Amino acid sequence: MIDSVYIAWRYLVFNKARSATLVACVSLIAVLPFTLDVLLNESERQLLSRAETTPLLVGAKGSALDLVMNSLYLDDQVPELVSMQVNDEVSESGLANPIPLYVRFHARGFPIVGTTLDYFDFRGLQVREGRSLALLGECVLGSAVAESLGLKPGDRLLSSPETVFDLAGIYPLNMNVVGVLEPSHSADDVAVFVDVKTAWVIEGLVHGHQDLLKVRDPTLIMERNDQNVTATAKLTQYTEIDEQNIGSFHFHGEPQAYPLTAVIALPADAKSATILRGRYVSAEKTTQIVEPNEVIDGLLRNIFRVKSIIDSVIVVVGLAALLALVLVFALSLRLRQRELNTVFRLGCSRYTIVRLLGAEIAIILIISAALVAAVAGVVSHYDEQLVRLFLVN
Amino acid sequence: MAGTAIGDANHNRGCTVRHGLRRVLAAALLLFMACSAVAADKLVVFTVNHPLAYFAQRIGGDEVDVHFPAPEGIDPAFWMPDVSEIIAYQQADLVLLNGARYAKWVDKVSLPQLKLVNTSTAFQDQYLRGDAGTTHSHGPVGEHSHGGVAFTTWLDFSQAAQQAKAIAEALARKRPELAAEFQRRFALLESDLLALDSEMQSIGQRARGKPLLASHPVYQYLQRRYDLNLRSLMWEPDVVPGRSSWQGLQVLLREHPAQRMLWEAEPVSETAQRLTSLGISTVIFSPCANVPDDGDFLTVMRRNLEALSSILGPDG
Repeated sequence: MIDSVYIAWRYLVFNKARSATLVACVSLIAVLPFTLDVLLNESERQLLSRAETTPLLVGAKGSALDLVMNSLYLDDQVPELVSMQVNDEVSESGLANPIPLYVRFHARGFPIVGTTLDYFDFRGLQVREGRSLALLGECVLGSAVAESLGLKPGDRLLSSPETVFDLAGIYPLNMNVVGVLEPSHSADDVAVFVDVKTAWVIEGLVHGHQDLLKVRDPTLIMERNDQNVTATAKLTQYTEIDEQNIGSFHFHGEPQAYPLTAVIALPADAKSATILRGRYVSAEKTTQIVEPNEVIDGLLRNIFRVKSIIDSVIVVVGLAALLALVLVFALSLRLRQRELNTVFRLGCSRYTIVRLLGAEIAIILIISAALVAAVAGVVSHYDEQLVRLFLVN
Repeated sequence: MAGTAIGDANHNRGCTVRHGLRRVLAAALLLFMACSAVAADKLVVFTVNHPLAYFAQRIGGDEVDVHFPAPEGIDPAFWMPDVSEIIAYQQADLVLLNGARYAKWVDKVSLPQLKLVNTSTAFQDQYLRGDAGTTHSHGPVGEHSHGGVAFTTWLDFSQAAQQAKAIAEALARKRPELAAEFQRRFALLESDLLALDSEMQSIGQRARGKPLLASHPVYQYLQRRYDLNLRSLMWEPDVVPGRSSWQGLQVLLREHPAQRMLWEAEPVSETAQRLTSLGISTVIFSPCANVPDDGDFLTVMRRNLEALSSILGPDG
């Protein structure tokens, strides 16, 4: 038996290209459905776990999926904006506690999440290094952001302009990194957290500058009368917030009118949740309330519908590949007819020849199985990151 | 032998002392732990001014641990806490805000929204908008002004009672099992505040129409509620006003011939003497935004009312 295996192995080694092709074919047929299954299960777990822990989401009417993907998975697609008034309405209803979200801006490719400290408690995020947010202009980094950008507390991080063509727009904010979070194995790892007011500073709604009523430089003033002072473009707004200039930062207008992308509503109980949902049923409302679980369920149903199609395709492709394999073996048998005749003439029985061929097939299957196991191991180990890289984000 | 006996005796005494010390230390440790446990059970409440701290303490009693960390002698409306103080605010169970854009530092720090209680929400539609000041424009947001909202809301004692009610409700939400006790204590505080309101109403009636001056624009709610004919200057008690300020006062006196001027604190003697020479007597009416040197919010307000009442005389 060992002789047969040895001869089969030598044969496979001698015909490296053919053997490698066969191993690749078998491995691919086996690995495709497996990895797809692992990745889809992980994506389902990730999507659902975050959706299940987020009871209700209030946002502008429009795509519920965009709203959920932006709010829960920090997707780049920004939903229609709502005002801080929506946050206050949820609070004043007495039915739920609100957590505002403003996920619109980026810093070096990572989403900036403008929220309140309640978000950290709600998601169970712990500060690993440094401290949590305290002052305007500070940010706390998700673990992956800190690792990727090599930043630590005490460093600075510049917000990115919304578009490269925004030359006349607002200045980027040089944020002070004050903390790094423990890994949470969720989208929060790739986020830059700021207070929602700091997000408004990035937008230019809250800003600091010299007191226009006190400036002496005439080139800073375009027009001055009893009621109004108009500054020239020379008036620079502060792009960093520190102890010296924090006092000059101010809101324009009522904060209730300031924008948000969504509000997470945490109802006291199921009854409160139902009553709150009922308040957003009216067609006249410009806002909607969604249960992220339902939205993600719908998304997953579509994903699994696609998966079943892919499964069918894989079965068909697999069958075709198997037939091709059979053909390859049949053809190789024909090509090896002279070699097999020689073996037969040397005194080997037909059974021995069958054993030799069987050993070849077994070796190919074993190598393929090992390869599949290795790939499966890698995919299973990195499924979380792979899903976040390819599916969630 | 004798030396050994003495040594043993000393050793025994030393052991006894050490045992005693250990017992005392153990007892102290237990006491400390017990106190910590009691303190841990207490609701930790941080406030942005003294009136709210006073209300919270009156309503919460021993069940709350009230903190107002602004240093003495500073106006809490314009105070800016440092990072360690902000973190202390963040770790509180409740943070009581005055509302009406009081304590501007709140807009510049991160506080957990779910712990914040705006005590003046009930009457926020009645906030008094201050002089909007000069508007200005720059950048994409267009014309705007930084004129503020009058924020010494508690000087209208009926509003103060509403703020106290908001505190009682917030405490009851945090400790529902103590709601009845909080309500009972609130009722006592409310009656004190409404008594002040009633007394101030009668003072207001006596002062009706009579021109009054205020050194600083902090009495807007007092003026509205009690119908005072009050005009405000921008004078500081510890700064002698300059020539232009005195000239401005002379101009104002022509159309508003006031003989009494309300001050947040005792003005420097030079200012007081010059006012006296103009026939204007000074009366201290402290808003009591920070912890007073003696007494508490209620005693300071009673003192304010007595001072105002006495300067008005029996028939105003």
